[in-house]
Amino acid sequence: MANKEITQQDILAVYPTVAQVLADALGCDVERVKPNVSLIEDLDAESIDFLDLVFRLERAFKIKIPRGKIVEDARGDLPESDFEQQGYLTELGLARLRQFLSEVPPERFHSPMKTADIPRLFSPETFCKVVIRAQRAGSGSA
Amino acid sequence: MAERFSAFSFVDRITELEPGRRATGRFTVPAALPDFPSCLVAEAVGQLAAWAAMAYVEFRRLPVAGLAGKTAFFGTVKPGQRLDLEVEIESCDDEAVAYGGCARIDAVKVLEIAHCVGPMLPLEQFDAAEVLRARLRLLCDAGAPEGRFSGVARPQLTAIERGVGELHATLQVPPAAPFFADHFPRRPVFPGTLLLDSQIRLAQELATPLVPRELNDVKIRSFVAPGQLLQLHARMLPPAASAATVTMSALVDGKSISTARLELGSRDKS
Repeated sequence: MANKEITQQDILAVYPTVAQVLADALGCDVERVKPNVSLIEDLDAESIDFLDLVFRLERAFKIKIPRGKIVEDARGDLPESDFEQQGYLTELGLARLRQFLSEVPPERFHSPMKTADIPRLFSPETFCKVVIRAQRAGSGSA
Repeated sequence: MAERFSAFSFVDRITELEPGRRATGRFTVPAALPDFPSCLVAEAVGQLAAWAAMAYVEFRRLPVAGLAGKTAFFGTVKPGQRLDLEVEIESCDDEAVAYGGCARIDAVKVLEIAHCVGPMLPLEQFDAAEVLRARLRLLCDAGAPEGRFSGVARPQLTAIERGVGELHATLQVPPAAPFFADHFPRRPVFPGTLLLDSQIRLAQELATPLVPRELNDVKIRSFVAPGQLLQLHARMLPPAASAATVTMSALVDGKSISTARLELGSRDKS
C-alpha cells in the first residue's frame, strides 16, 4: 500500500493543507508557496523549519512521519555504499534520487552532489508525498 | 564562575520519571528573590522535559530550545511559592524531543506549554554526561537543596526607538554571567527563555497597560553567544482597546534568530 504510485490527484488532495502548514511554519504568505519551489533556496527554510514543518504536518494530518525517511526511501534497497560515498552521491545514487524526487525540476540536480545538499531539493510537493506515504503506512498498519 | 546547578537550574526534585514519556517534579522559588519571571517558569517546565528526554537517550543527546507552539500565562509566581511541574513527552529520539507540560501552584495552573520541540544535539559538546547522570540520581532520590537560585540579572534594553505601532531596541548579551555555568558548562549559550523575556518586556512596553496572555509560534533559529549584540523588534497587529497581538523578532547582524507572536490582554481578565 505504502509503495503504490502517487498520482497527481493524490498530491492535489493534500496540497492546500500542506501549503498552508508550510506558510505557517515559514511565516510567509501562502501565495509564495508554489508546488515546486525549493524550500531552502526560494523560501529561506532552515533546519529548524523542517523540524517545525514535520511536527505541524503530523498534527494537521494526524499522521506519524518517521525521521530521515526521505533519503532512506530514496535509497530503497540500494546498499549504502552504492548510494553514497564519502558524503557524495554516487551516479547510481543520484539516478535513484532523481527518480524518487520526480517532482523536482531536473536542473536542480548537480553532479557531483553532496548528500548534505539533498534537502536543498525539497519542495512543497516533496512533503505532499511524505504525507501521502505516511497516511498509507498508517492505514496499512491499522 | 557560579557553582553548578545554582544559577540556572529550576528543578529541585523529580517525583515521578518515565524516561521518554512523562515526569513530574518541583521547584521552590527562593523567598528572598524580588520576583520570578514567567519565562523562568517555562524554563522550569522545559528543564523537567529535558531530564526525561536525556534519560531516555541515555545522556547521548541534550535538547536545546527550538520551537514552542503555545505558552499560556495564567498567573504570576511569587517568591517563596512552590512550583509543581508536569511534562508529557509526545516523542523523543536522537533528533528531537516533542513535549508539553504545565506548572501549578497549590493545584492551580499558572503556566501551560504545548507543541514544544527541542532539537537534540550531542550532549558531550555542551555538558558532561556523568555529571548530569549524578544530578538526575540526586533529583530523583532525596532532591537537591532548595534556595540556591539567587536571581538572574535581566539584560537591559537600550537604544529604544518608537515607530507607529512598533518598538525597536538593542539587547547586549553579557560576555559573562552566572547562568552560563549551567547553560552550558562546555558551550555557553544565552538561554532562549531569557531572550524571550527581553522580547516580551519590549512587547509589553509597546502594548502598555496590557499584560501577556499567550505566546505563540516561538522559533529559535540559532544560538546566541555571550557578548552578542541583538536587535529586537516588536510590531503591533491591528490594535484594540482590550487586547493586542505583537509580533516579535530578534536579529544578530541582520539575521533572524528568534521569532514569536505575543497575545496581550487587560490585567483584570484572568
